[in-house]
Amino acid sequence: MNEHMRSESASAEPGSRVALAAEDISKTYGATRALDEVSLEVSSGAIHGLMGGNGSGKSTFIKMLAGVVTPDQGRLALQGEWIEARSHTPARAKASGLHFVHQQNSTFPDLTVAENLALGRGFESTTLKSIDWKAQKARSRRVLDRFEIDVAADTHMVRLSPAAQMMVAIARALQDQDETDERGVLVLDEPTASLPKHEVDVLLTALRRYAADGQTIIYVSHRLEEVTAIADEVTVLRNGRVASRLVGAEISHDSLVAGITGSVAAKQAGTVPRGSGVVDSRVHLSHVAGFRETALTLRRPSLTEVDDETLLLRAGEIVGVAGLLGSGRSRLLKQIFGAVPRDDLEVTLNSGPVPPSDVRAAMKKGIAFVPENRLREAALPELSIAENLSVTCLSDHSRAGWIKPSRERKAAQRLIKEFGVRAPSASAPLTALSGGNQQKVILARWLQRRPTVLLLDEPTQGVDIGARNEIHELVRAAAAAGTAVLVVSSDFGELASLAHRAVVMSGSEIVDSIDGPLTEDILNDVVYAQEKSL
Amino acid sequence: MSNIQETSGPGGASETTTVVSPTASPETEQKLKAAKSRTGKARLINFLEAYALLVLLALIAVFFCFWSETSSTFPTLANMRILLASQAVIGVISLGLLLPLLCQEFDLSVGNIAGLAAIMVAASVSESGNVLAAVALALTIGLVIGGVNALIVTRLHVNGVIATLGMSTILGGIILQRTGGLAPASNIPQSLTNFGTGLVAGVPVIFITLLVIAAITYFVLSHTSLGRQIYAVGSNMEAAKLVGLRTDGLRAATFVAAGLLCGLGGLLYVSRAGGASPNVGATFTLPAFAAAFLSAASVRPGRFNVWGTIIAVYFLAVLNNGLNLSGVDPYVNDYVNGGALIAGVALATVLYRRRTT
Repeated sequence: MNEHMRSESASAEPGSRVALAAEDISKTYGATRALDEVSLEVSSGAIHGLMGGNGSGKSTFIKMLAGVVTPDQGRLALQGEWIEARSHTPARAKASGLHFVHQQNSTFPDLTVAENLALGRGFESTTLKSIDWKAQKARSRRVLDRFEIDVAADTHMVRLSPAAQMMVAIARALQDQDETDERGVLVLDEPTASLPKHEVDVLLTALRRYAADGQTIIYVSHRLEEVTAIADEVTVLRNGRVASRLVGAEISHDSLVAGITGSVAAKQAGTVPRGSGVVDSRVHLSHVAGFRETALTLRRPSLTEVDDETLLLRAGEIVGVAGLLGSGRSRLLKQIFGAVPRDDLEVTLNSGPVPPSDVRAAMKKGIAFVPENRLREAALPELSIAENLSVTCLSDHSRAGWIKPSRERKAAQRLIKEFGVRAPSASAPLTALSGGNQQKVILARWLQRRPTVLLLDEPTQGVDIGARNEIHELVRAAAAAGTAVLVVSSDFGELASLAHRAVVMSGSEIVDSIDGPLTEDILNDVVYAQEKSL
Repeated sequence: MSNIQETSGPGGASETTTVVSPTASPETEQKLKAAKSRTGKARLINFLEAYALLVLLALIAVFFCFWSETSSTFPTLANMRILLASQAVIGVISLGLLLPLLCQEFDLSVGNIAGLAAIMVAASVSESGNVLAAVALALTIGLVIGGVNALIVTRLHVNGVIATLGMSTILGGIILQRTGGLAPASNIPQSLTNFGTGLVAGVPVIFITLLVIAAITYFVLSHTSLGRQIYAVGSNMEAAKLVGLRTDGLRAATFVAAGLLCGLGGLLYVSRAGGASPNVGATFTLPAFAAAFLSAASVRPGRFNVWGTIIAVYFLAVLNNGLNLSGVDPYVNDYVNGGALIAGVALATVLYRRRTT
């Protein structure tokens, strides 16, 4: 089914074998061109991989297909008819047979499989409009059989394996399809993001089966291995443009990496700049640069294959943690901070070992942690800016438990100035600030403690470009003052500009290290190389 | 965010950063003036927001002073004393309830803790005549029950509403068992009843006691590290954990403190009423909740707070007192109380959203 060759842009009537086509789709957000004349064709009955790094535009493209994002220009062909992409709506997406299943669990864990299936379309009801449970169960049974999901209809969702839950979500999206003859397009957005390895295989096998039955699937993923395993055709996006289109045998790890990263020649996995060879010279360089004093050491005694010292952080250096979604980056930071169980990880600061599962002890030892989700994990929204700042230093502002209001206020005013927070006053609630300024407050909250180690998780997520640069400057200044910084970011451009060197995580382990100077391409290369070697 | 260029980096922040609003643009002079006049107006609005309930309380009081139905009975010294003294017990219990509420925990057992303390104190003091022992007993009962509540919520991880509903029901059972449903014959020593009915400079002692307790609670909440941590837990438990606060310990402390204040409330009740009836506890709970919720509509809009609670207690009391004196049917009070609670909390919600969005 993948022998079709296609022209560079699909301007002619879409052929009968084309399930979905897009032409010259562009979308601009402020100064960012999220999509730049993107055209693609999805063959009927094919699994079409849509790939790209962070910020490549694949999410925007999917949102555009769903009708949630209105593009600036372009055309769409659904079921053989061209329409202006701007007139596309969620209702239209549904009417033309586009079915979306997202990575977030969209099923209800406390309801049964049958109830979950029914919630997508309505329950079978009797003439009295009460739910006809018998008919409902029979229908669920038919759907489960058709999608070959081996669970009982009255099982609670929560008891299913993650892969089975994903399959139920897919079945729910597609359950009405066979009643019409038109085959729709199933769009899967990172369906394996939260699945363990063996579960992934179960899901991929099921998808192959659905495709063989004629189901068209758009498979959005950053996992090279999965896409090479199941895709019949692939479109790779980079910086909002189509970087490459691959069909059949052209799809390989190297050709995908070349498309994602934009390296001119596809690198063999072996020649990718892996850390091990470069470490020595860089360690030497680090000494020259003055990063001498060890600030933090991570050990995992159970790791026998490599030497057990998995990460060493020196005072004054900024180390990036690169990895794909679900590689365990955020968890690593929380483990170091003691906010989640450490497993066998041992954390040592220059002042001694840091006990596990004890945030207070970690703070006392000099660790600071700026979490990823500001609203959920950092902000005290009803409290004032001054109160948000002082919460990590209450004992400094108080004597015998009594807070000195003037001392607290003065400290807040000094921090507001020092960190360039644009705020009406120190007593304004935190929520009166923009996201970027809130983030500066959170950063100031921790940096005023002059931590030995600063852990940053996505420090500029959802922050505008101006504030982002300011936050970078603040982090650099903290490092220059002797703080060792460990920063997690999905934005490799951010890591490249901020970090002196980086480590790479995959499957909750630090698997590689890259010694500077960092570029986005190098990070992409090494991270995706890891995906293959898994 | 248009003025990012002007104030770049940590060192380069200009003095204007602390004054201008986040949306200020380069024409600083003009904007500053505008900002100043805006803050003048904003201050007035802030004042009105903060003291609307107090103003309303005053207006209602003035109304009852001149309304022909109540003008002869409401503005009398005797009525004012009754008004102030009769609400002291509810006031103390409301403050007790306020503490867990600040951590977003509901304590439904406040009324029955006070009720049980009242029964036990009345029985003990009638028998022994030992007032000090009675004080110790009231406080111990409050501490123990509050402690058990705290353990159930923070160690067994039972939802606070359920834990304290269960506790309240059990306490109701204990009260019934001890009294057989009848008010015990009581012989309260004069020293205790003098406290409940006495005056200092013409003001009921028991009202002054309420003000002292409120002041202590206020200072602990607003001026100590402990109080700040309680507010932080209430604002965002997850964030509070991640800045190293002992969230479980703090929540437990509020339940214990609530128990203590309710025990004290029971003692004050006995001192004022000269006895205790088995049904009294249950009548405290809902008014206490009403006052605590209404507190978010005044003094610190959008936040539950001590002085807001006291104002709310007396706002509801003046309303009810005036209506009673005017001789309206009792159901009118229910309409007014319910309506005032809903309107007050709706107001607080609106204020809160205005401030934070």
